[in-house]
Amino acid sequence: MVGPNVTLTPLSRADGSASYQCPSTGSNILGSVNAPVELPGRRDALKPEEATVEVFVKPGTAPAGVGERYVEGIIKTMISRLILGREKGYPRRGVVITLAIVGGQSARRGDSYLTLLPALLNTSLLALLSASVPMSMTFSATSLAVTSTGDILREPTAEVASSAASVHVLAFSSKGHLLLNESQGAFDLDTWDNVRERALAICRGTASYGSDGDVTMSVDVDGQPLEGTIREAVEDQVHRDYAWSIDAV
Amino acid sequence: MADRKRINGPPSGTKPPVFASSTKASGRPQRQRQPNDLRKLFLKTGLIPSASGSAYLEFEPSASLSAARSSPQSLIPPSSALKLACTVHGPKPLPRSATFSPNLVLTTHVKYAPFAARTRKGHIRDSSERDLGVHLETALRGVIVAERWPKSGLDITITILEAEDDRWWGDTPDSHDAPWGMMNVLAGCITAASAAIADARIDCIDLVTGGVAALVSDQTAEGEASSPKLMLDTDPAEHKAILSACVVAYMPSRDEITELWLKGDSSSVSLEKGDSRSGHDALIDGAVDAARGAHTVLAEAVRESAARHSGLPVDAATT
Amino acid sequence: MAPAAAASPAAQPTPPSLSLPPSQFARLQPHAYLLAHLSPPTTSNHPSIRANGRAPTQFRVTSANTGSLTHTNGSAVVRVGETAAVCGVRAELLHTADIASWSVTQPSTGSANKRRKLVDPTLKASETAGDGDDEESSDKDESHIEDLNLLVPNLSLSTGCAPGFIPGAPPSALAQSLSQQILSLLHSTRLVRADDLRIWYQPPNLGPEDLERHNESEQMDVDAEAEGEKNREIKAFWVLYIDVMIISLAGNPFDAAWASVLAALRDTKLPKAWWDIDNETVVCSDAVSDARKLSLRGMPVASSFCVFEADAAAGWRAVILPDAEEERKIAEDNRRGAQRRWILADPDGYEEGLSQERACIVVDKEQGGNGKTVVVKMEKNGGWAIDGRELRQLVDVSSQRWDHIRQILEQC
Repeated sequence: MVGPNVTLTPLSRADGSASYQCPSTGSNILGSVNAPVELPGRRDALKPEEATVEVFVKPGTAPAGVGERYVEGIIKTMISRLILGREKGYPRRGVVITLAIVGGQSARRGDSYLTLLPALLNTSLLALLSASVPMSMTFSATSLAVTSTGDILREPTAEVASSAASVHVLAFSSKGHLLLNESQGAFDLDTWDNVRERALAICRGTASYGSDGDVTMSVDVDGQPLEGTIREAVEDQVHRDYAWSIDAV
Repeated sequence: MADRKRINGPPSGTKPPVFASSTKASGRPQRQRQPNDLRKLFLKTGLIPSASGSAYLEFEPSASLSAARSSPQSLIPPSSALKLACTVHGPKPLPRSATFSPNLVLTTHVKYAPFAARTRKGHIRDSSERDLGVHLETALRGVIVAERWPKSGLDITITILEAEDDRWWGDTPDSHDAPWGMMNVLAGCITAASAAIADARIDCIDLVTGGVAALVSDQTAEGEASSPKLMLDTDPAEHKAILSACVVAYMPSRDEITELWLKGDSSSVSLEKGDSRSGHDALIDGAVDAARGAHTVLAEAVRESAARHSGLPVDAATT
Repeated sequence: MAPAAAASPAAQPTPPSLSLPPSQFARLQPHAYLLAHLSPPTTSNHPSIRANGRAPTQFRVTSANTGSLTHTNGSAVVRVGETAAVCGVRAELLHTADIASWSVTQPSTGSANKRRKLVDPTLKASETAGDGDDEESSDKDESHIEDLNLLVPNLSLSTGCAPGFIPGAPPSALAQSLSQQILSLLHSTRLVRADDLRIWYQPPNLGPEDLERHNESEQMDVDAEAEGEKNREIKAFWVLYIDVMIISLAGNPFDAAWASVLAALRDTKLPKAWWDIDNETVVCSDAVSDARKLSLRGMPVASSFCVFEADAAAGWRAVILPDAEEERKIAEDNRRGAQRRWILADPDGYEEGLSQERACIVVDKEQGGNGKTVVVKMEKNGGWAIDGRELRQLVDVSSQRWDHIRQILEQC
């Protein structure tokens, strides 16, 4: 499976930015992060001891609506738990994450955004890293669809998702915690356990599962784990940014 | 155009259903009460714990409505009965941007639920809802002892879950037509807000209540309009022609009126023989009588609220 | 002020001269207050209980009342503890002539509808037993609900339900996402059948008698139906405006709102409607005997949870977080009794303010048939306390809650 196409810091004016293209769903997200920034006009709403996280999702073709508010809420709840908002310089300030859907399909009315959510989450992580916002951990997110015959499909397109029995979005931290689960459609928990296992393999690889024959198979299917892709993207960027210093040694 | 903060329906809009005129035979609901009989009120305070004061008010369904409820025949309800919830938040500090005020700043807000009336209401307040808010504010401003809370605000929010009809649904709008139902709604709002303010233990000079009276010329069996009669607490669905109506906000122990809203033509009306009052005098007297009637229910609700708060300084409102 | 002193507010009020009364302690030190309740000192014999007196997996008292609003097709009032939601369903008509893309997207209604109609009688019979067999056949037809926006749920918090929601202001982000959650749950559970919302017209090409007979289509045999099938067309749709007013908000609005939507839809009656060829419009019958209830698919019930963590400052100095190794130690501690995390069912406003991690599980036992619990939505977000094992427990709790809610809904 082809991994995502990641570019760090494509925007020069934002504190941090990232673009993320997922080949299987076709979604293309451009994210920017500004942090820490003053949030004027919202002085009453600011928390005195923590940073305030704000997330904006801009769909490609239409103005943002109710669906975007909902997915903004999901991203905000998850990210605010990971950002170390009490570090120096962050309390009473804002972390503003803007995610624009520049390619692929936009969600329809009443759509739950599940097919786009992993790309949005991964983009915001990369943009936060690019803006060097302190975080307690990194994560990686993926989506899976379970068809009515019980097959698990990785990163379904909107059409596949709409005909699937259930759609799941899971995010795992760099330490193996389940950070987010959004499941929709009829399923039972045994199915979900399979989904979780597969998602963990996609996000973090299967190294932790031991040297079972089947497991190495699934690594081939899913290619490089997402976490590794993200890590490499950051490593490459750091390498490029500090090339002057490395060359000097 | 489409509201981006709400979920919208089909872009081309929808139409309310049109009923085949089959069972209009059931006819206009008839008033079963005596002209000076009031409908029963259900008033309860303290149902919304997160608010500093709250009240829920419900009118007793008319005879025709309760008959239609117990043995449903038609999907078209003959009339409706007011149901509303009122909350009071405050006194609280004014927002940073507000200018200095030596008094309590009263904000009233009346909103119909989309399903409250016979035609679907919009989500954004329309002019009649704003109008009700202003009337309610005038009614309450004279009651609250506003000097006791400088630099503070008091928010009164009323959600109307079911409103009164303006006319019988079978009638076509005619020359006598006016939003008569709104007057009953206002009377209900005043009584409920008064209970909620007392429940919030805001100092008032008296317990204000709302009352409605109307001059009605009902058609007799011969189809001849009789001389107009004064009726208290009218349900507009029950009358063919309301000539004029009046709603007051009345403080019984001081015998004062804080709000008076009179609609329709009452000057040219001659009442029954032996009644020398002019039309609008009779109307105001009638509305005051109706408000007095509501006062007993309100006093009971406030007593209940005081009992619930017992142990704390209560009865501030019941001077 | 030791937390232990506040642990027994009900049993013995502490001396007023030295410490605060419990209600003030609850406001000043909310976290310590709830923690003291949940983990009482081992010396005292108080059980671990929430500050509101409930056990961790205990829901608040729930009541429902339907059909009390006059101007609605269906309505319900649901109270979950002190949170109250009123839902009213209003049906209005959408003529297919008004749909811009209708004639383009519906070139011939022939084959799909024919098949649908033939399947229908068996469907109606097997409805209660579970409708596994219509899943495939109705997939295409069901898309009408989503494509034409036939379900319009909106939730309002600007009712003075809690301080902080300014009346008259546009819906807050919370209200918007609750509306969206209701809509996407309505779509994903396919609770409302598209067939209930369609108004058909059969042109009288076989003579006027057939039109008469068509109006009583139940008595029509399938063969005669199939003959005129080609010309049958949809003339209009019912659009359901589902408005939820949260009258009182004391935590967990979603469970109450969804329960009220479900109860109101179960109460909803649509009038019988037909196409009047002379007036070129849809006319309805107002007779209650002609009206029919919606036949809903299953009965999904939502249960929400939050996680309370003993270490309030975890998010603060959590530069080093427990990884899998330490996580195992925590689990061991839990077993020994030194609990650090509590999953609280149906959180009230106070508890919601003290927790970041939420979970919401929607289960249905009717859909799968024979009482099997099917999860139709499972959300968890905002932390890392809930994983597979916890979710499994929560699904069990939710399925017990389902039994309870079914009882309540069937009584009203």
